[in-house]
Amino acid sequence: MTLSRRLIVCLDVQDGRVVKGVNFTGLRDVGDPVALAERYENEGADEITFLDITATHEARATLLDLARRTAERLFIPLTIGGGIRSVTDIAEALRAGADKVSLNSAAVRDPLVLTAGAERFGAQCIVASIDAKWDGKRYRVYTAGGRTPTPLDAIAWAQECVARGAGEILLTSIDADGRRTGYDLTLTRAVASAVSVPVIASGGAGEAAHVVAAITEGGADAALVAGILHDGVTTVAALKRAMRAAALPIREVAA
Amino acid sequence: MRITVFDYGAGNLHSLMKALAGPEREVRSETDPVAALATDVLVLPGVGAFGAAAARLAPGRAAMRDAILAGLPTLGICLGMQLLFESSEEGEGAGLAVLGGRVERLHARRLPQIGWNTLEAVREPLITTSGLTTAYYANGFVCRTADAAVVTAWSTHEDDRFAAAVRVARCIGVQFHPEKSSAPGRLFVDGFLRALQQGALPPLSDS
Repeated sequence: MTLSRRLIVCLDVQDGRVVKGVNFTGLRDVGDPVALAERYENEGADEITFLDITATHEARATLLDLARRTAERLFIPLTIGGGIRSVTDIAEALRAGADKVSLNSAAVRDPLVLTAGAERFGAQCIVASIDAKWDGKRYRVYTAGGRTPTPLDAIAWAQECVARGAGEILLTSIDADGRRTGYDLTLTRAVASAVSVPVIASGGAGEAAHVVAAITEGGADAALVAGILHDGVTTVAALKRAMRAAALPIREVAA
Repeated sequence: MRITVFDYGAGNLHSLMKALAGPEREVRSETDPVAALATDVLVLPGVGAFGAAAARLAPGRAAMRDAILAGLPTLGICLGMQLLFESSEEGEGAGLAVLGGRVERLHARRLPQIGWNTLEAVREPLITTSGLTTAYYANGFVCRTADAAVVTAWSTHEDDRFAAAVRVARCIGVQFHPEKSSAPGRLFVDGFLRALQQGALPPLSDS
């Protein structure tokens, strides 16, 4: 057999709470990231990602506490991103309960943080998160949650991240993000064929066919979804069914 | 029953500690490799790099090896399984050499192997009865054993078939992360501990 293609569910958190509206029935506290993560695990999600969108110094302790509480109840991998700047931050996040950390702005500022993190904890827990936007000529890397343009080319930057120690690339298309018209397959394919590590496609999922296309056409190893699940547009089970129907190897979950 | 997780100081032990917990079990973590042996069950967790972990293990290496070979119930996960072998391409230092062989890089285009992979040719009844058919991996290195008879399950990444699980004496090593393999993974860990609580690990099956 072969390695399964993954469906990763992302939750945006702020001060330990889920910020975007999550449209679940039968859940008493829709803002509780722990309860939501558990629910997605039960539905068949392969991994959970928490993206801390505040990422202030004060929010750190809250985030670490959240990681701790989640790790005690979640038995699939948990990635934490947002505001991780140093090897100390990486150590704290892993220690608190994250299995992987994702670094975005900090890696652009100082790529050596990827190397130091990989040497100490192994490349498998260092995810380089890249936000890219087409500028008419090339895919340009942005930092600070898509606000700040950099001179970096996304494909070359992805290769450098891997050379520096990243074990995985989380690739978000700023153009596609939130539009629900599909992942940026051109960007995904370009990065997936340029690096040797797994690539997670992110940004733009509107329906199951988009998830399938990110993997079959984009060459991604995993697809990250958020809004369409939280808003109740579709379910993890429906997305997994579509992946199976497209003959992708997936992890089967007992009903 | 006392269960001790040997803590190399690297990563997340929360999910593992929780997966080990249960009735009449006392789970603790211990950073001293010799002190870690004062236990009923030893767990070598799966997070970190080989070189750093081998260095932490060094002061208790001989004592731990002797204890495991003498029958100390042990569960080695991912890096913890790799530490059962002699050495690793990943880093300096000596493993426990409970098993003959070396840890080498997976032969694959996509590395590290991150994600869920199928377990094949399973002879470990603790895996079969837990319903664990697909397990979570996060590794770039695998154990190349000198003796295929110790291998109790296999997996394949791209074209490279590697040992997913091994058993020697009362020691089980798994290359995957049962504590991250959802409900069946927890059942596997629980089944291992329950078998020990009831007195013995089940004999390996033939196929």
